[in-house]
Amino acid sequence: MIETFFGRDALGTPAAFVAALVIGLAFGFALERAGFGSSRKLAGIFYLRDMTVLKVMFTAVITAMLGLGFFVGLGWVDLPAQVNLLETRYAAQVLGGLIFGVGFVMGGWCPGTAAVGAASGKLDALVFLGGTVLGSIGFNETFGLWQSFSEWGAYEEPQFAFGFSRAAFGLMFTLAAIAAFHFAEWVERPAGGGKYLGTPFLKAFSLALLVFAVALFILPDQAPPSPMRTAAGQPAGDVEAEQSLLADIDAAGDHIEPEELADRLLRGESDLMVVDVRSPAEYAAFHIRGAVHVPLADLPAALAPHKNAGLIVLYSNGMTHPAQARDSLARLGFQNVCFLTDGLQGFVDRCLKPVSLRDEPLGAEDAARVNAWRVFFLAAAEPTPPAAGQPAAGPAGPVAERIPGLVETNWLAERLGRPDLRIIDVRPQPEYNTSHIPGSVCLNPESFRGVVGGLSSMLLPSDVLARLVSLMGVKPSDTVVVVPGAAVRDATLVGMVFERLGHANWAVLNGGFTKWAAENRPVDAALPAIQTADYPARTGPDAFTVDYQAVLRCVGDKRTVIVDTRPADYFRGEKSDEARAGHIPGAVNRPIKEDLDENGQLKPAAELAAAYAALIPSKETPVVVHCRTGHQASQTFFILTRLLGYEDVKWYDASWTEWAARPELPVEK
Amino acid sequence: MNDERKRDLSETGVSAGGYWNPYLAGLLLGATLLASLLVLGAGLGASAAPARFGAWLERAVAPEHTCNSAYFGPWCADGQNPLTYYLVLMFAGTFLGGLFSAILARRIRVTTERGRAFGTGARLWLALIGGCLVGYASRLANGCTSGQALTGGAMLLSGSLAFMVCVFVGGYAAAWFVRRQWHD
Repeated sequence: MIETFFGRDALGTPAAFVAALVIGLAFGFALERAGFGSSRKLAGIFYLRDMTVLKVMFTAVITAMLGLGFFVGLGWVDLPAQVNLLETRYAAQVLGGLIFGVGFVMGGWCPGTAAVGAASGKLDALVFLGGTVLGSIGFNETFGLWQSFSEWGAYEEPQFAFGFSRAAFGLMFTLAAIAAFHFAEWVERPAGGGKYLGTPFLKAFSLALLVFAVALFILPDQAPPSPMRTAAGQPAGDVEAEQSLLADIDAAGDHIEPEELADRLLRGESDLMVVDVRSPAEYAAFHIRGAVHVPLADLPAALAPHKNAGLIVLYSNGMTHPAQARDSLARLGFQNVCFLTDGLQGFVDRCLKPVSLRDEPLGAEDAARVNAWRVFFLAAAEPTPPAAGQPAAGPAGPVAERIPGLVETNWLAERLGRPDLRIIDVRPQPEYNTSHIPGSVCLNPESFRGVVGGLSSMLLPSDVLARLVSLMGVKPSDTVVVVPGAAVRDATLVGMVFERLGHANWAVLNGGFTKWAAENRPVDAALPAIQTADYPARTGPDAFTVDYQAVLRCVGDKRTVIVDTRPADYFRGEKSDEARAGHIPGAVNRPIKEDLDENGQLKPAAELAAAYAALIPSKETPVVVHCRTGHQASQTFFILTRLLGYEDVKWYDASWTEWAARPELPVEK
Repeated sequence: MNDERKRDLSETGVSAGGYWNPYLAGLLLGATLLASLLVLGAGLGASAAPARFGAWLERAVAPEHTCNSAYFGPWCADGQNPLTYYLVLMFAGTFLGGLFSAILARRIRVTTERGRAFGTGARLWLALIGGCLVGYASRLANGCTSGQALTGGAMLLSGSLAFMVCVFVGGYAAAWFVRRQWHD
């Protein structure tokens, strides 16, 4: 496989600059040899006198098209990953093309040929280039006018060949070019040109192009995206192997039932390897005991040492990906791979669901089996594998390292444009509309809260959240950066969404948009092109949200510290917007304002650490944070868990609104 | 240099020829484009360099304004020089490659190319206005004949093919109005 500078994200390196210079040398040489150092020759095409432009341009396009077709078809280059594909924006490209054509015929040059023309001493080329510079500046000054226009006919994915297969379109294109060559030669005759018409050269040249274009049909339109093809070193079309693969599937030799897997794991069978192919975040949140994490694309390499030794079980949430991966591995000669029937969801439902919650009653023997599984798989849930005897997924370890809770503006600037970065701007929409960090989406932090069972302003359940973040294009593997405006708590409230989803890699931009803008970092007013994703929902409640019963158990418990983050006068009961005034007995007061500096940004971590050390005896102390609705307390939750490393912090989401409204709960003033 | 050749290299700058067979020149150009795609992972480009130079100029005059502008802004982010870009180097290469070839073919002559019946000043004005339109349109379409038509066309990208067709539509539509600049 060819690795390009673009594919390695190295177009900004000195080596790429040298390569670009060398390619430019060949480009300029070819243009000059063709005669494109002359504007009269270039303009000739528009008066049907000198058709050199047509001949050179179409020959070049067809040559590169056929060449690229072979490289792609033979699997030597992965087009979207290794080659920068220009965006498809029909409106901008059509109008741009029309204006360009007018400028081309007026000026007699295009930018590349003008460079060659200038090198040949043509003053009109130099003046033309000056105009090009001015036109570019003019575009920068009027860029805003085109924002909505250029969205017309814009596609998220580059469009190819107007929907034809690339081989078919390539052949039509080649035929059209050959016809155009002959027309060009014929039309030049009155002006004394057309010397190639009817020559053996043009016949042979046309035939050669045609042969290559037809030959492209025997190759696949696009190389398969999987790395298996090259790893195998053989084409995947071996009929016999496919038949035996299908026979294996027919004989159900390709999957394993959850109960069987659970029993075999419980027995501690040593020749069994369980592989979780979900995202690192999902794996970190929960996995089958003893499972190792391997991303799909790394499977052939990671499993190579276990090829045909013992049994390898692949699982994901469902069955599609593991089944596809199993078939790929089978093609690579792995005879010992199967996948888990019904996926992790099935494993949880069939093996781990408590006996008491089952629709059909279980016999005593089955009930005992379920209880044994529950003890083995749930009670001793390991935070991190690998267990003894299990291979590690790689030297870096299977779990992605978590990014810091607060990221700096330069950290974000360096990562801008990465496909796995999602920026969420929580400022009011008008502010976002005027100017925002390129690629960011605008989000009202309240969008994730609603009524849950009579309680208002509750963070929505994780399946609803998963759906909402999917619409925003967030994937489990993404890094999420939340950008606050004036209120850090808006960002931390959105952060609670990701905490609930078990999405480890999220952070708050330190200083928010204000700092970003003050540092003159890039901003725009464009809406980002985002593709909706499919964020898997987590089942069950999260580990940190507590209800009033859990908080009530903490009242009078000397160990737990309840932190009330409301303003001091509300804490003391002097002011109240609720059913009752006061605070939870034994709670301490730390208003969120005290954690902020005069600009509304978080105080330095050292200062915060000292303040909380005075309130909470140790990092292991159980802590409950609450405010009036759960919003302000999200800021304190963030400070304690992400900045200061407190290990046991709970969030009472329903907060004082609920506590005050339940007359049976104790209140202190 | 014989007499006939001298006559051809008159003030109009029309060369006596000596150009390559256009199909072979096209093959070399296509091979260069293919090499660019496979080595750089990006095609040929020429209009980016004048645009980058425009950003550099505008920043020199009005740094604050330029760095906050929506289009040029990202090119100046973090005190970056907008000229530090691979396509600027490619443009320099294009100039040098053209120079090399023109020296070899003895085709260098300082002149303004035009029809004998057309004034130098008028020709330069047309070149300037044409250049402005091309510079503007290249930014709008995100590329010129090199980046969109040649590169995108070779990858069979629908939008680039549409651009290529529209260049000729626009060119043929306007050709009649500016025909006099080539009248001898």
